[in-house]
Amino acid sequence: MWHHILICLPILGAILDVAGVLSSQMGRVLFLVVFIAGLIGAIRHASFKFSPDLVRSAVLSLIGAVLTFILSTKLKLGVVVASALVGLVGAQVFKGRDQLVLYLGVFVGMGSVLSFTSLIVAGLLGGLFFELTGESWVGVGGRLGTLAAASVLVVLAAIGGV
Amino acid sequence: MSTLFLGILIAMIWGAAGFWLRQHTKLTVVEVSALLALTAGLILPRIFVDGGFFALVCTAVSYAAMCSDERMCSYGEMLVVSIFCALILYFGQNILVGVGGRLGTSAAVAVLLLVLIKSLFRLGSAKVNVES
Repeated sequence: MWHHILICLPILGAILDVAGVLSSQMGRVLFLVVFIAGLIGAIRHASFKFSPDLVRSAVLSLIGAVLTFILSTKLKLGVVVASALVGLVGAQVFKGRDQLVLYLGVFVGMGSVLSFTSLIVAGLLGGLFFELTGESWVGVGGRLGTLAAASVLVVLAAIGGV
Repeated sequence: MSTLFLGILIAMIWGAAGFWLRQHTKLTVVEVSALLALTAGLILPRIFVDGGFFALVCTAVSYAAMCSDERMCSYGEMLVVSIFCALILYFGQNILVGVGGRLGTSAAVAVLLLVLIKSLFRLGSAKVNVES
């Protein structure tokens, strides 16, 4: 059960945001405590094993995030068009799950609340979350975006920028 | 309020298009989603005053269209999820603003709502069968 917590983090973030405490110190600490519990649960889960896929996914997610961020902010294409373009081109370059991980990174790059440095951390974290939550919400549309939101919110909570 | 109704209508069109693309083409889920989002992002803001919002709704619907066939198996279900997406984004405009992945989270919540409703219906019909 604990390994499902990571993917539920954005729901917790949304609840805290509605309650108006996401930006408060209490809200951030609560969010990070739940994140750490979920992280431990995911790592201790039987299906998880340390493998090169962790690094591969982290890097792919980072590439998607950075490309989307650059296209949307520097070239001013807007997040929707920028994300779609990176997703389409990425789907021609990568196959299978690599496509999905890159697309996850794209969602991280759609945010407007992160600095470039924070975006890099969130991008890497997104790929790790993809590997850590392999059995959560399988086949649910929006799963990748949820993982992206989880990584962005963790970074925001850690740096105090929520 | 007209923005909401128009948003729901456009979301349903994009949802149906996404489901059709999933069923009748060999495009991957990423390609289908990106194509839907790209057309929404290029067309809707040029046609409607609230086109930016409609593009976001359609983008969220495109993420929901990435569902597996087991989770979403008919046009009716896709249309229901599209309506949920539009409602969630309309009423949740001030939640997690600027957070990357917000649209995907909205899509996932919409799909999970459908899954919940489907299982409640299944539970209800199972009870009726047992009682009869």
